[in-house]
Amino acid sequence: MITVNGRRRERSAGETVASLLARLGFEGGFALVERNGEPVDREQYGKVELEDGDSLVIARPVAGG
Amino acid sequence: MEDELTIAGRAFRSRLILGTGKYESFDLMRSAVAASGAEMVTVAVRRIDFDEAADDITSFLPEDVLLLPNTSGAETAEEAVRMARLARAGGLPDWVKLEVIPDPLYLLPDPVETLRAAETLLEEGFTVLPYIHADPVLARKLEDLGCSTVMPLAAPIGSGRGLKLRDAIRIIVEQAGVPVVVDAGLGAPSHAAESMEMGADAVLVNTAIARAGDPPAMARAFRLAVEAGRAGFLAGVMEEQLEASPSSPVGGTL
Repeated sequence: MITVNGRRRERSAGETVASLLARLGFEGGFALVERNGEPVDREQYGKVELEDGDSLVIARPVAGG
Repeated sequence: MEDELTIAGRAFRSRLILGTGKYESFDLMRSAVAASGAEMVTVAVRRIDFDEAADDITSFLPEDVLLLPNTSGAETAEEAVRMARLARAGGLPDWVKLEVIPDPLYLLPDPVETLRAAETLLEEGFTVLPYIHADPVLARKLEDLGCSTVMPLAAPIGSGRGLKLRDAIRIIVEQAGVPVVVDAGLGAPSHAAESMEMGADAVLVNTAIARAGDPPAMARAFRLAVEAGRAGFLAGVMEEQLEASPSSPVGGTL
C-alpha cells in the first residue's frame, strides 16, 4: 500500500511514478510529485519505483494570482 | 531602442503580468491573457483531486507565455520553499512568485518569513520575485539578497482599492535597483497607469480583470493603461504646483 494525497491506495508490482499517474487517470500537463517529502524530478517519473509505505503528494498548477 | 523590461536577464515587451485566478472559465482566461499582451502569468500549485476531472490550465496558455508559479497557501518560509521545489522538480520554471501569507483577512505578507524563504530559494538557484508589503527597507534587503524584482502591494489582494500605498511605493521605486512590480489591489486601469507614471516597472493584475464585466475587454484596457502610464513616465511628468499658471497669453486680450 502507498498513500497518495492522504489516501491509501494499492500499489501495482513494479509501479513507477509514471505508471501510477496513468493508473490514476492523469492525462497530460504538469504533475508535480513529492515522494516521502522529497520532490521527484520530472525526468525520473518513469524510473522511480514506488515501495510499500511510500507517501506521495501529487499536485498540479492551477489558476491563481 | 525598444523599451523592454528585463527581469533576471529575460526581456519582456509587456509590462503587464496577469494572475490566472478567479476567471469564470479557462476559455475566458485565455482570451483575457491574449488581449492583455502579457508575457508572464502566475499559477498556483495545489494537490490533485483524482476523483474530479479537471482541465490542465497550462493547455489554455500560449507556450511563449512564461508561467510564474506562486507559493500561495504558504504561511511559513518552509511551506513556500517546499512548494517552489515541487514546482521546479515537476518541470515548471525555476522562477517563483514568493508569497508567504499568514493573515487570512487582509492577506498581508509576512516579511520575516519571506526574507527567510528568499534566502533559501536563492541559494538553490531560483529566480525569486517576492510579494511584499510596501516596505522600502524590506525591498532593499530582498534586492541585496539577490531577488530579481520586488513586488509591493498597492492595496490588499483582490480589494480593487488602487494605489493606497503610493508614497511608500514611490520610495521603493526611487531606491530599487531591480524592477518594481506593483502587485495586488489595483482595481481600475487608471490605477495601473498611475503606478507606471510613478515609475513602477510593471504591474501584476488579476481580480480587476477576472471579475470585470467583460474580462478580455478589461485586459485590453489595462494593457493600454500600462502603455500610457509607461509612456507618460518616460516623457517626464510635469511638476505639480499649487497655483494656477495660464496656458494662454496674459496680454493682448480684446
